[in-house]
Amino acid sequence: MSEPILRISNAAIGFENSEPLLDSVNLELYPGEIIGIIGRSGLGKTSLLRTIAGLIPLLSGELEVSRGVGEIGYIPQRLGLITHQTVGYNVMMGALPKAPLWQTIFSLPGQEYRDQARSAIESVGLSEKVLEPISLLSGGQQRRVAIARSMVQQPTILLADECLGELDADTAKDIISLITNIVKEQGTAAIIVDHNPVRASTFCNRVLQIRGTRLEEVE
Amino acid sequence: MNFSQLLKKRPRLILYALISILVIIVADSLGLNLYNLGQAWDNLGLLWPRIWPPDFSVVTERAAYSYSDCNWDADWMCSPAVHGLVETIEIAFLSTIFGMIIALPLSMMAAHNLAPVWLSIIMRQILAALRVLPSLVWALFLVILFGPGPLAGVLAMTFYTIGYLGKLQYETLEGVSRHPLEAARAMGLPRWQVARYFALPEASNALWSQMLFMFEYNIRHGSIIGLVGAGGIGWYLSNYLSVYSRYDRALAMILIIYLAVVVIDQISLSLRHRFMDSEVHAPRARWREIIPFFPKK
Repeated sequence: MSEPILRISNAAIGFENSEPLLDSVNLELYPGEIIGIIGRSGLGKTSLLRTIAGLIPLLSGELEVSRGVGEIGYIPQRLGLITHQTVGYNVMMGALPKAPLWQTIFSLPGQEYRDQARSAIESVGLSEKVLEPISLLSGGQQRRVAIARSMVQQPTILLADECLGELDADTAKDIISLITNIVKEQGTAAIIVDHNPVRASTFCNRVLQIRGTRLEEVE
Repeated sequence: MNFSQLLKKRPRLILYALISILVIIVADSLGLNLYNLGQAWDNLGLLWPRIWPPDFSVVTERAAYSYSDCNWDADWMCSPAVHGLVETIEIAFLSTIFGMIIALPLSMMAAHNLAPVWLSIIMRQILAALRVLPSLVWALFLVILFGPGPLAGVLAMTFYTIGYLGKLQYETLEGVSRHPLEAARAMGLPRWQVARYFALPEASNALWSQMLFMFEYNIRHGSIIGLVGAGGIGWYLSNYLSVYSRYDRALAMILIIYLAVVVIDQISLSLRHRFMDSEVHAPRARWREIIPFFPKK
């Protein structure tokens, strides 16, 4: 088996000056693997993803992950889209880490990246909506935009926080197939937070459940 | 009924009585009294024939004196009211544009969610320092440095615009949702890209609205800074009031300023409403639709 691209050892996760939400967390993630995280609200699923993304510090323990420019793709619970901007603009944001810095000082990344954004938008089925502002899209369409942004970014690790929540079964199925395609085609590893354990077990290689302050593998 | 019973039964009565006593004490310490008010009324009676009717020749006749050239053939275009008002609007326009261009990067560096703490503290101090002096006091200093005229006016209002608009802008940027910023930070983007490509577009409607408000504000204040020689309609007004004692012309100028401010307020308000309405219906940057000649997507 290849080397893990993420290794968390004996870690405590949570916020400074308060009790850890999770402790003794041990987790390894391999290229091309999808891990599902399930558990009740407020137990620390989002905090785990934000810690991996480097947005909040680890309380104790070790976390080994490469956080080079563009290596981590994070889709927050509310998707993190720029609501005042168009679908095209939001997807182009995925190209920012790859584009030369000088190119982005005065304008968006160049033609090569625009082509990548266009093909990502086509593959999520939103070609007709390129110039639509995000706020006019449905919840499912907004999730597709967030996924298209990650497709352009081509991260090593994709972290998706409840990107299947509040969706009907068919739309959720479409979003799942988009994520599994990214993993297969780009060799990305993914950690997906989901509330539905049955659904998570259908597309994840492993499912981990938060019980109390522990992260345990579901057999 | 003793005092404590009265206090319990009629607490508001006691409060009003205390405030009234305080008002009388403070007014007395400032030397305000009815005798002075009566004297002002007498003075108004003496001045009234020189105030009324307003002399609207300030709109029709070419200005006999001016600190800047007016090359229009039509006399009314070079009249004190029109020439002064156009210059006031020009001063406000330039100072708003210059102020916006300088304030925007400063406000991004002052926002806690976009810049390191040490930098945001320094930037906030700079913006606060620019805001301490009102544009009139800036104009007083700059007229001494650059001499009377619009240059001092533009600089004075630019300084104040940077301080005032910068504060509005960094507060708006700090109110931007954290989710797009977190997605950007997780990508490993540098701070300036997070600010430029994520925070600015998300806050764009509010930022445009604030710039329009600042333009409107600068036009109103542009009339005042002329009183200290920093150009615009206030310069003529000041001369009519103090040098020439032409109160009828001064009244006409005041009425024209009032009319201009009302019109500009209404235009600005309707434009700002378009930005604010868009928050609800179609939240996207609307400036392309507002600028008539800008190519539509």
